[in-house]
Amino acid sequence: MSSLLEIRDVLRDFYSKHEIYLLPFLKFCLAFLVIFTINLNLGASSKLSNMLVVLVVSLLCACLPINMLVVLSMIFTIVHFYEISLECAIAGGAVFLLMFLLYYRFSPRDALVVLLMPLFFGMKIPFVIPIVVGLLCPVTSAVAVGCGVIAYYVISYIKDNATLISSLEADNVIARFRYIVDGLMSNKGVFVVVVAFCATTIIVWLLRRLPVDYCWTIAIFTGSVMMVVILLLGGLNYDTNLTMGRIIVGTLVSILMAFVVQFFAFNVDYSRTEQVQFEDDEYYYYVKAIPKNTVSKSKRAVKKITSVL
Amino acid sequence: MLSEERIKLMTRMAAYEENEGKQYMAIGSYFRSDYMGKQVIHSVISATIAFLIVFGLYVYYHFDILMQDIYKLDLLGMGKKVLYYYAIFVAGYAILTYIVYSVRYNRARKSLRKYYSHLKQLLALYDLEGKSR
Repeated sequence: MSSLLEIRDVLRDFYSKHEIYLLPFLKFCLAFLVIFTINLNLGASSKLSNMLVVLVVSLLCACLPINMLVVLSMIFTIVHFYEISLECAIAGGAVFLLMFLLYYRFSPRDALVVLLMPLFFGMKIPFVIPIVVGLLCPVTSAVAVGCGVIAYYVISYIKDNATLISSLEADNVIARFRYIVDGLMSNKGVFVVVVAFCATTIIVWLLRRLPVDYCWTIAIFTGSVMMVVILLLGGLNYDTNLTMGRIIVGTLVSILMAFVVQFFAFNVDYSRTEQVQFEDDEYYYYVKAIPKNTVSKSKRAVKKITSVL
Repeated sequence: MLSEERIKLMTRMAAYEENEGKQYMAIGSYFRSDYMGKQVIHSVISATIAFLIVFGLYVYYHFDILMQDIYKLDLLGMGKKVLYYYAIFVAGYAILTYIVYSVRYNRARKSLRKYYSHLKQLLALYDLEGKSR
């Protein structure tokens, strides 16, 4: 355990020392990954799929605030939709614009969650997002989690039906539009996933704030179990595109990842908990202090041994 | 002479000004009524655009039926119904905005009060140092 803590401290020190270079680099990597994934999955526009364009936009994102990456990703997605058909661009663009207008006014910082959700769906571990968001973010971020799920299913639906949509009669634009909207609205599985993920975020947030020992661990396990139960029960009635094996394996991987997050963000030693009580002119204070797990850095002493022959 | 206590306080205040303080100071520069009014107006504009988008999509979806029955439709009644839904949507969104931003304003004022108390503490430390010289 102490060696892990040492590694954590080394990583922290390294990040704080080189933050000025690391942050743009990480932004570049994220932007590249997101735009590359969009191109790989939709890939309808050959101009946007050009690697040079991807690199230039990623470099641009490295210097811009993270929310610009969200806006650029939306633009990339809508242009790809447009290449499939105008109606796809209208339907997809309207969904993104509604999210932007109604939710991001309140909490622009959570835009990253919406961006990461489709990415993690692609990696087959979307279950980690509601747990980690519940651990690290305020409860209102549950709405961002829901928006991320909707964004993924819109993209996924259009990607799966791209050939069919393109083959529909070009002169009957309303029929095409109706086909897309009906397809998006009839998928009740989306609502099951939205409810499961939002409920998990809220439960994890509620439990990790409880004044009990191991509250983060309790929150991770309870949230995960609840998510699996809702997804499995919902999956019996509606098509969520998630198989039982994928849900269970994905959740187990997500629990592991949540513990890694816990290790970095909330690593305390409950065995050394102290309860103190004091008062001032106005209040009595009952304080529970839990020390953080830390390790003192081992100092390497270089001993010079010289021998006289 | 360097005062360790003063340097600690200044560092903490500088970190606050760089991070959460930046956002709170911007909020704190408004009177409550001005701040809430500004946010509610922004929300009404956002909600209006969002409603127009949804309404536009609805019209586009039913375009052929609407065109077919345009002369049979009670346009006035339909207009009233649309306005009724618009009013409910915008009012609901404005109330939500009022609640969210009112909580945020109170939080910012509370945090800034703490910051000002640190400023006073710093001033007192400077005074104390001046007298001891």
